[in-house]
Amino acid sequence: MSPRVTAILVVHHGGERLTRVLDAIRAQSRRPERLLIVLAQVNAETRDLAAEAAPDGLIQIEERVAFGEAVRRAEQTLPPPVDDEDAVWLLSEDTEPQPGALLALETTLETARSVAIAGPKLLDAEAPDRIASLGRSMTRFGAAVPLVSGELDQGQHDGLSDVLGVDPGGILVRRAVWRSLDGFDPALPVVDDGLDLAVRARLAGHRVSVVPSAHVRFAGGGLIGPAAGHRAGAVRKRAAATRRAALHRRMSYAPAAALPVHWLSLLPLALLRSVVLLVTKAPGRIVGEFGSAFRTLFAFGAIAHSRRILRGARTVGWSAIAPLRLQPDEMRRRRRIEAEERRARARGRVDGVDFLATGGGWVLLASVVAVVVVLFPLLTAGGVAGGGLLPLSPAVDELWRNAAYGWRDVSTGFVGAADPFQAILAVLGSLAFWSPSWAMVAVWLLALPVAALGAWFAAARLTERGALRALAAALWMFAPPLLTALADGRPGPVLAHVLLGWLLYAALGSATSWATAATASLLFAAVVASAPSLAPALLLAWIVAMCFSGRGAARLALLPIPALALAAPLIWAQLAAGNAIALFADPGLPVPAAVPGPGAIALGFDGAELGGWQGVLDAIGAPIDPRWVVAALLIPLLLAAFASIATGRYRAAAFTLAAVALGFGTAIAAAQLSVAVVGDTAVPVSTIPGQSLMWLGLVLAAVVALDGLRRAAAWLAALLVVVTAGAVVPLGVSMSTGRADVAPAAQRSLPAFVTAEADHDPRVTTLRLVPEASGGLRATLEHGSGATLDDQSTFAQTRTKLDAGELALAEIAGNLASRGGFDADRAIDEFGVSYVLLGAAGEDAERSEIQTADRARAALEANAALVPVGETDFGTLWRFAAAEPDAPAAQIPARAGAPLTGWIATVQLLVFGAVLLLSIPAGVGREEPGRRPRRPRPERPSRRRPKPRPSAVDSAEDAAGSADGAGAGPGETAQDDGAPSVAETSHSAEPGDAPASAEPGDARDGGTPPAEEPEGGRDAR
Amino acid sequence: MPDSRTLIRAGGRGLVILVAAAVGVTVLGAAAIVPWPEHRAEPLSRSIQPAESRTVRVCPGPMLELGDDAESVSALGSVRLVTATEPADADVEQLTLAPPRGSEDDIAVSLATQPGGVDAGMLAGGQAQQLATETAAGFVAAACAEPVAEAWLAGGTTELGRSTLLLLANPGDVPATVDVRVHSETGPVDAPSGLGLVVQPGAQRVVSLAGLAPAAASPVVQVTSSGGTVAASLEQTSIDVLTPSGAELIGTTAPPAKRQTITGVVVQQSGGIAVDEDHAEGDAHPSLRLLATGTEPVEAAVSVVPETGGEGSVFDVVLQAGQVSDIPLGELAAGDYTVRIDGDGEFVAAARTATRVSGDELPSDFAWFPASLPLLDETLVAVPQGPGAKLHLANPSDADVEASLVAEDGEEAITVPAGAAVSTAMPASGGRVLITGGAGLQASVSFSGERQLAAFAVQPPGPLDSPILIYPR
Repeated sequence: MSPRVTAILVVHHGGERLTRVLDAIRAQSRRPERLLIVLAQVNAETRDLAAEAAPDGLIQIEERVAFGEAVRRAEQTLPPPVDDEDAVWLLSEDTEPQPGALLALETTLETARSVAIAGPKLLDAEAPDRIASLGRSMTRFGAAVPLVSGELDQGQHDGLSDVLGVDPGGILVRRAVWRSLDGFDPALPVVDDGLDLAVRARLAGHRVSVVPSAHVRFAGGGLIGPAAGHRAGAVRKRAAATRRAALHRRMSYAPAAALPVHWLSLLPLALLRSVVLLVTKAPGRIVGEFGSAFRTLFAFGAIAHSRRILRGARTVGWSAIAPLRLQPDEMRRRRRIEAEERRARARGRVDGVDFLATGGGWVLLASVVAVVVVLFPLLTAGGVAGGGLLPLSPAVDELWRNAAYGWRDVSTGFVGAADPFQAILAVLGSLAFWSPSWAMVAVWLLALPVAALGAWFAAARLTERGALRALAAALWMFAPPLLTALADGRPGPVLAHVLLGWLLYAALGSATSWATAATASLLFAAVVASAPSLAPALLLAWIVAMCFSGRGAARLALLPIPALALAAPLIWAQLAAGNAIALFADPGLPVPAAVPGPGAIALGFDGAELGGWQGVLDAIGAPIDPRWVVAALLIPLLLAAFASIATGRYRAAAFTLAAVALGFGTAIAAAQLSVAVVGDTAVPVSTIPGQSLMWLGLVLAAVVALDGLRRAAAWLAALLVVVTAGAVVPLGVSMSTGRADVAPAAQRSLPAFVTAEADHDPRVTTLRLVPEASGGLRATLEHGSGATLDDQSTFAQTRTKLDAGELALAEIAGNLASRGGFDADRAIDEFGVSYVLLGAAGEDAERSEIQTADRARAALEANAALVPVGETDFGTLWRFAAAEPDAPAAQIPARAGAPLTGWIATVQLLVFGAVLLLSIPAGVGREEPGRRPRRPRPERPSRRRPKPRPSAVDSAEDAAGSADGAGAGPGETAQDDGAPSVAETSHSAEPGDAPASAEPGDARDGGTPPAEEPEGGRDAR
Repeated sequence: MPDSRTLIRAGGRGLVILVAAAVGVTVLGAAAIVPWPEHRAEPLSRSIQPAESRTVRVCPGPMLELGDDAESVSALGSVRLVTATEPADADVEQLTLAPPRGSEDDIAVSLATQPGGVDAGMLAGGQAQQLATETAAGFVAAACAEPVAEAWLAGGTTELGRSTLLLLANPGDVPATVDVRVHSETGPVDAPSGLGLVVQPGAQRVVSLAGLAPAAASPVVQVTSSGGTVAASLEQTSIDVLTPSGAELIGTTAPPAKRQTITGVVVQQSGGIAVDEDHAEGDAHPSLRLLATGTEPVEAAVSVVPETGGEGSVFDVVLQAGQVSDIPLGELAAGDYTVRIDGDGEFVAAARTATRVSGDELPSDFAWFPASLPLLDETLVAVPQGPGAKLHLANPSDADVEASLVAEDGEEAITVPAGAAVSTAMPASGGRVLITGGAGLQASVSFSGERQLAAFAVQPPGPLDSPILIYPR
């Protein structure tokens, strides 16, 4: 007796597809006896269409149920199966069976009585020569794997028959088995439903077979299985559904004894896999990963139901299906192939940098020579002092405590937010863990080479010419802002300048690579932490880049997140204090300085001295305004920068000149701000970071301009370097001869008498009194061996009111500096003060300052509670006669800041841990799915440039505004975003210039392993 | 030949560069010219009023006589001491300081109020003594002084027949280490024995200036103290050929400044020596002692103005750095004078006059007039009993000052015209006077009688008790 086949067709959308499927069913060489159409929430038109086909049953469901559920409902309308021959053929509007499909499937069921499920060969509907799916299996650990996927169908798998599982599209299932197995598992609505059904059939003693001669075209529209496609959302959903199905199957299949272990391992595994996802640059899947874990964690009912069904139908042991699992050696082979593909893709990437071949090594060498010459006095120094430099805390754990929310150990101390800059100090100090203070020496010594390389790499995005990259490196290394910051001892601006080039380099590549985007975001955090005044300009550039970057925006969006996580506590504190403008305060030790005028700012210096030119001209007796001299030296650079517009690379020119304007504006704005206070002086915000940005724009504009020249660019570059570097010669000489503020220093800021005591009493407290020009007295407390750079807090420097501790300190200091009936020992009771250090008035100090110093000295000397220690390099020192070691009032309060410290630190560590993992370049190759061109792009003839240019150059140019990497091979540039503008401006690549990334992508049969992140750009950097 | 497209393109690029340059110049100009709004944080400070303390004044006590061995001293008689407080009923504790080495007599007295008993400066003391012994004669008066860390004393001499002692008193709780540096007409005197003198707490020490600077005609003494503070004064006695010719207690003069004012210089008899007289012998004529304390010579203009008004005389002097100059004040009519000295460098100053009974060849008494410091708004003066006591008030400012003098017998309003000086007589029996509204005035008290001449400057309280601005950040 011939089996009665009932075709069940599930419809969601209808339309042309439905017509095609209905036609295909009608065209079957063996037509099904019955046709049931399940309409899930369809419109009337579709309903009519379905009704026209005159099905034997039309089931309407007013909601979008999963395929399995729809089939179940349709099957329930059928009478119970008469015998084994009754079967259902599961179709949807996405499956278009070829004429012989049903016949082939039915023949299999007929000839092999033990086969309960027969699956067809699913072919890609868009490319019918490719196999979409042919059987599924599991590894030993239960992970679902396709047996064949994405391969070109050359009949190579036509011998396949017995498999562990099949995808549900187009399968023919014996109804008796279907009923005994209760159909698809409702807990597996999207993924693995077919596999699960087949596994249960196998365990019930039946066989599952694929029938390669039955062809069904499969569209992957989301009705059966997850929706196909490379869009980020689809990929994320697919990954989450896959993971959820895997977890559910694990909980269903596991022996009861192992269940608790599996249950407990859900979250730890999710965490672990998140780490791996970060390293493999798929951060978008983490949410799905945790979502799956949590849902499985509480899906007791679904798990119990699945287990009950499984138990009820099972007749053979798990060992029965073991031979059908994918064997470990096969898994290994697959992994090896995948890794090889990744390697091939990674190899194919051309970053266009070519460090050694274009003279990067020589630039490095030259910069090292420059360091030896300019920073000669620091070469053997153990510490560096002067200007805004202070030692760092000697213990690494203290550095990190100071980087976290909690006790700010500055003067009287308070609980509050740390400056983001302290985190940078903690990192630097940890790198030099044997002597953290030496880290600042290292920063000073490495500043020139690292800055030079950063600019070199950034310029490599703009030009391939070694000479021009070297030009950028030299101009950036000898930038007036950098040398000014180095000479004046300003660690924040130095770090900002050094990292700015690198930030640009990384940011230009961040739209196409998670690793680069994460690196850029870390650099962004470091730059903004070092120089908060740059934040508005950088954020503006970021917003513009986001607007132009199209699909790269997701990666670019990461840019400010670490900076935000780092600064959030401080931002919150300053906003709460109503002092938002104080966020621009330079971190570190505030250095009172004169506000530079617009002229000096435009010339790159931060004072009327113009980097020592004033002194030079005075020395040779030339009555010239130094501004004219410096301006004359900088004019060639300025001309070159403006000439960049004339090269025709308007985007690059506009981008660099906009950076000049933005930097200049930042510097001018900074000059109008004074937010921190030291003693009786308001400290202006440093203009140097803004000037660094301005200089970066100038340098890159000059590179663009010279790149437009066909001849003599190298000679002009050399000339430009010589003339421009002339502007900083006085600064360099002053540093190399040790006349600058910055100098090698012993690692202490308090008299040796105090630091000696600090060795065994680390909280020994010194009241430092400094006479001020206004006739007042500055009073601060220093603990241990003195204030450190990582103790500083811009929040403390910018508060607009004195807090209770400061008022108490003022009371005590004022009375100690006066004759009076004051109980001096209150200083011990309230602050645990052991020493009083009175700074001397300067050589040419104001009279009021000298009077204050004399008054304080007289009062302190006459105070019987104080024992004179003597004159020191730092001033006159007294000791409290009643001073006690380990004074209780000097200790940091226990659990200061708890529990907020822990929470904030946890969030910050999570963010930074994630970004760090993301920045590990381990995902090379994983990130670049080999996408096939979707729409061919007409080749544009090269407009101007006779010389073919490597893609990196052009893409950098575009990435300047929009980072969704432009220039790539002709086959690859066709994107569904931004393509017109790309074509417009990129000097479109010749066919021969196609980056090699295109080839491996195309060459590997277009298969996209499901584990891959398909979004993003193509050419790698 | 370039085609038109090339030309247009070249022209377009030139235009773009021009526009960019114009934008650049505009931006630069905007940055330079537009007065952008500024945000400058206000330095945070707090004025701290020192906790109330004991106000202390030290009265030098009776004149001393050096013993034979130059180590011991003995007191010549006793003094009449007058104290004053505001409020008047505040308790004043009189504590006799331990006498100097080699002396049995109690000499110096420290006056102290309870903490908070009076405001800063509202304790004053004065002492007067009439000497008439074989070795010393004359009338001396002094104000009880505040202990300080640095004091300048201009006066005295160690020439033949003149004896000058330096009195150092430490009323505090910690030992004071005192360095005494003497300048004379030949420059700084090298006297290592004057350095590191320890004055014990609650004790007095006497140093003979002759031991430090023998035969110095014009000494100026700088006293610096570390550790505790000291009250320093000089006392000078003169003998001319066995006849005592005067005595004086010399209080501290104003510290070095570019402008000094000496108020109430009393000239009893007309006379004197011309300013340009090269051989101004003796010390009986009105003269001025000046010392430039810096390292550069100082050119100074001296004006001597009578209190009664009138032109007065003006002359210029050049002071060599570190060398003390005694300059005659010229021939002056009898009367009270204000001496103002304006220099282009810092210096200290004091004036000296003498009195001579007509017929006598030798002066019978002399007085030193130290320079005064500007007063605070309220000043309390204790005037000891003495002949012809006068309070002199000089107004160096450009505006009239209306002050009021509150004495025991009532209140008197007094107007001191800009740039002028007035004096008002004090009761001969002494007493207290409270000057209110006298900020910026400079004051002194003089005594003038037959064979009697003495003066002391009224100095404001030191800054140690005044509020101080603290920047706790």
